[in-house]
Amino acid sequence: MSRRHAPPPRGARTHRTRSSSRLRGWLRHHRAMALDSAWRLLKAPIGSLVTMLAIAIALVLPAALWLTLDGARLLDTELTDSATLTAYLQHHVDDGQLARIEEAMTANEGVRRTRLITAEEGMEEFQQALGLADALGRLEENPLPSSVVVTPADPSPEAVRGLAAELEAMSGVDEVRLDLAWIERLRHLAELGRRVALALAVLFGGGVLLVVGNTIRLAVENRRKEIEVVTLIGATHAFVRRPFLYSGAWYGLGGGLLAWGLLTLGSEWLAAPVAALAASYGASFSLPSLGASGSATLVGCSILLGWLGAWIAVSRHLAEVKPR
Amino acid sequence: MIVFEHVGKRYGGRFEALANLDFRVRRGEMVFLTGHSGAGKSSLLRLVMRLERPSRGRILVAGHDIDRLHPSQVPFYRRQIGVVFQDHQLLHDRSIFHNVALPLEIQGVEPRESARRVRAALDKVGLLHRERALPIELSGGEQQRVGIARAVVNKPSLLLADEPTGNLDPQLSADIMALFEDFNRIGTTVMVASHDLALIARLRHRILRLRDGRLVADQEAA
Repeated sequence: MSRRHAPPPRGARTHRTRSSSRLRGWLRHHRAMALDSAWRLLKAPIGSLVTMLAIAIALVLPAALWLTLDGARLLDTELTDSATLTAYLQHHVDDGQLARIEEAMTANEGVRRTRLITAEEGMEEFQQALGLADALGRLEENPLPSSVVVTPADPSPEAVRGLAAELEAMSGVDEVRLDLAWIERLRHLAELGRRVALALAVLFGGGVLLVVGNTIRLAVENRRKEIEVVTLIGATHAFVRRPFLYSGAWYGLGGGLLAWGLLTLGSEWLAAPVAALAASYGASFSLPSLGASGSATLVGCSILLGWLGAWIAVSRHLAEVKPR
Repeated sequence: MIVFEHVGKRYGGRFEALANLDFRVRRGEMVFLTGHSGAGKSSLLRLVMRLERPSRGRILVAGHDIDRLHPSQVPFYRRQIGVVFQDHQLLHDRSIFHNVALPLEIQGVEPRESARRVRAALDKVGLLHRERALPIELSGGEQQRVGIARAVVNKPSLLLADEPTGNLDPQLSADIMALFEDFNRIGTTVMVASHDLALIARLRHRILRLRDGRLVADQEAA
């Protein structure tokens, strides 16, 4: 289009080849090629759309997995926060010692907060939880020890283990219980998911390169003659590449926006059942959304992949026509 | 302007397209390159355009050994040479105007300046009134003149033509050759490959005759 419109009006001007005019020429060509390649895409809407959809589908899977993991990470943080140690105190500890022990624990740098459960409180909780008020009430002596529930400042397993050892060494402390196994399992699972997501992202990113590369290869094939002619009369490789790079970037942009749309639709569609499922577990988990930066990353990566795929396709062609 | 020093070109290690070519073309000279098809005329021109590189020997153009050009410099070297092809090499999806403007577009010449030079070149070949036409709407002779306009729009110091009159009748061929003579008269070095012996004999310029890739005669201008 840009080149088939009517020729510009007549006018004479002195010939300048200063660098500023060269820069203007370069920018002009960029603008012309950006528009021209967009126009070529629009002229074949079905073909362009199919390519963009292929890109979008390749991007949706790793992006969705990444989002899910992001959600799982939030959940993980919540769970880790609730990871606590319980220090059971010796039976003979009296109320005064109890207060001092709790104070000492609070002073420890590895401790974020403490909650004291006296033997009586423990008994009450136990009775309520089990509904055995009568049976337990018949006991002459409270068999439960007082305990301190400690929330560690650093929830990593190593730190928690270290803290447990420290607490256990304190006088008046009988035993420290911690249950890290399930947290560790969750972490391993999250790590596994992250790696799977990364592997998928690499694989599907490669897929996008192939899709764009193949589309651009066909475009190069269709314009082989034009490339030949401009190369004969002194076009640089950058000049030859430019329209194709813009095509690749446009495909990437279209694919990225479609992927974004698919993800948004998908999370809308899944939101209700996920919320219901989470509610049934008494948790409030909702699917995280991409957000502004996530959306920008998705579309940016898509454009970059489109551009790169085009670059590879054109460069392969240019290497073929190198003079021997 | 052009110096060939013991230049040879082999393809695929065996077929010898050109052997031991040794000649020089002075600045501002007009030279015909002749010989049967397959004698090596096109290969020679392709070497000068650096579409191919010699297997042996050295080619100097305007004092520079063109085999030593870095690949990134080659496009800028080609911009100094105007080339006319037998099959025109016009782009059929753009107008005559934009075909001729292509070399200027590649160099990023400003549109107004570009338009002025394109019209000057089209005027020179007598096709100014057809600037909006597509190549397909023009006759063979007209298409060739568009090719010439595109070759000279950048005011090259060297003009190469490979069988520019290949498919034209004698009158049109004479017109085309007269155009080349015009450009030569204003100082452009011109090298035309042609097997139309009758025509080039009449024109009284220097003739280099190739046979089987060797230079068999170097006939100075009469």
